[in-house]
Amino acid sequence: MNQEMTLNKEKWLKVKGKKFWTEERRAYLMLVTPAALLYYAVMAFPFLFSLVLSFTNYTSGELVTTPIRFIGLKHYLDMLADPYFWISLTNNFYIVFISVFGQIPLGFVIAYILHRKHVKMTGFFQTMIYFPTIISTIVVGILWQSFFSPYGPLTEIIQRIIPAWENNLSVDPKTAMIPVLLAVLWMYTGNYLIIFLANLQKIDPEVMEASKIDGASEGQVLRYIVLPALSGVIVTCAILAISGSLNSFGLIFAMTQGNPARRTSVLSLYMYDNAFRGAPDYGLANAISIFMVLMSFAMILITKAVEKKFGGRE
Amino acid sequence: MMRDGALRGKRRSGEISGTTRALLYIVLIAFTVLTIYPLIWLTISSFKTTQEFQLNKLGLPIHWTLINYPIAWQIGNFGTLFMNSLFYTTASTLAVVFLSLAAGFAFAKIRSRATPLLHGSFVIGILLTIQSLMIPLFLVASVTRLVDTRLGVLIPYVGMGLPLGIYLCTEYIKGFPDAIVESARLEGAGYLKIYAAIIVPMAKPVFTTVAVLNVAGVWNEFMLVNMLVSKDALRSLPVGIFRFSGALASDYGKQFAALMIGLIPMIIFFLFFRNQITKGVSAGAVK
Repeated sequence: MNQEMTLNKEKWLKVKGKKFWTEERRAYLMLVTPAALLYYAVMAFPFLFSLVLSFTNYTSGELVTTPIRFIGLKHYLDMLADPYFWISLTNNFYIVFISVFGQIPLGFVIAYILHRKHVKMTGFFQTMIYFPTIISTIVVGILWQSFFSPYGPLTEIIQRIIPAWENNLSVDPKTAMIPVLLAVLWMYTGNYLIIFLANLQKIDPEVMEASKIDGASEGQVLRYIVLPALSGVIVTCAILAISGSLNSFGLIFAMTQGNPARRTSVLSLYMYDNAFRGAPDYGLANAISIFMVLMSFAMILITKAVEKKFGGRE
Repeated sequence: MMRDGALRGKRRSGEISGTTRALLYIVLIAFTVLTIYPLIWLTISSFKTTQEFQLNKLGLPIHWTLINYPIAWQIGNFGTLFMNSLFYTTASTLAVVFLSLAAGFAFAKIRSRATPLLHGSFVIGILLTIQSLMIPLFLVASVTRLVDTRLGVLIPYVGMGLPLGIYLCTEYIKGFPDAIVESARLEGAGYLKIYAAIIVPMAKPVFTTVAVLNVAGVWNEFMLVNMLVSKDALRSLPVGIFRFSGALASDYGKQFAALMIGLIPMIIFFLFFRNQITKGVSAGAVK
């Protein structure tokens, strides 16, 4: 990478000496500028804007006419003192947990079975298990909400086995997250299945065959060849799961809207609630937004570190 | 029978017994059923009237009825919503594809000191979740008077689609031999000409992947359009379905039909582009 960069630089400097470089540079600008402008307008500028606002006394109203004063960390302290912040953060952690210990192992096991072709119809199974991933989160959310509701089919299914069972799942604050987590597990396992399938295909099949001929069992192949080769992918998947947990708005908004008593809220919903439900408090919402972005950045840094450590693919 | 199974196993990849194989099938079939049963249940329920659904939540309808669909379509104003979704999806996808290819071409084939920084900032965007920037985006849109306009929805969609698009395009175009660009340069072609005449046609596979991923993402997007648009005439299909189900929460038949209306376009799309979607996910997710 570094070598390539210095090489590029040398070439660039050589070209720069001639007249020809201006045209090259102009072309570069024309090709890159539109994308860069749009991207920075949507991602970078709002971030800076929100960062600045989060340190001011701005909470709502016309931005142009409202007088704005610097107040330091108040919104952040308010956020940390708000019990709903901690409920939302905890729920985000539950989603991370179900992803890391549910979606990733399940995705891996199914991918491994399909990859080793011990079964037929691999294409069919792959398609069916992946399919929920591409449905709109709103449709999935409403579907599961109907499914788990006291008047829904789940009640009927369980009551056929335990007639006295009462379905309080989504009404009881203690259990309200369970349907949400099941829906999350149901919806995104397919993503990890696809990621593992793609990376399993990168492992040289001859290495596996050779170890089989040497008498290794299926379990040994898995333990000593496949898992080490995929360790980087597994860590990357865990990071995807964490950053994905910040993205769970649509599903939860459609399924519970954070109810009962905001017990199923997540950070993005907590942010939305503070901005749009009741009296708007954009200052607090901005602080939450910055907190979430910082979490994403931490994930990105970890990804880079992991890539360095386990990289070397390609 | 057993011997046959053992032999076949050996010829393929491992000596697994018939019992293990049966077990694997059970796991896979169980998983498949769990994945598609709710969707089958939804499909079946959408052919029941609300009364029939309440009496019979699990079984097949005694009287199959199609009536939920036209009624839901009309009450929910799904014609307009569908056209809006189609517009947002098509316009943003075209922009994302052509801008990603342009920037990817520049990053991959034109030397510049700016590339590491610019390209790096785009790659960060793949993991930076847009939801964390929703409120700031909304505030910026209010200041710039882009709330309740089509442009106000399109700009964020394009900006959101670019990081993955640019990452995939840059990687793909890097694989083209440099000689292609150089010889075209020697014949006097400008970079824009090269982009339009050589890069775009050659990059068709990655073009398709980026387009397909973007279509799936934008078609299903909910939070952003829900926030940036309050006019019925500008809303998209997911927002319409959400509002419809809120308004008719206990009218199950119509609600399920509305969900099916949201589901069917994605099923058709998925059947056509299954391979591109899965390829794109695996390419984009692990760098």
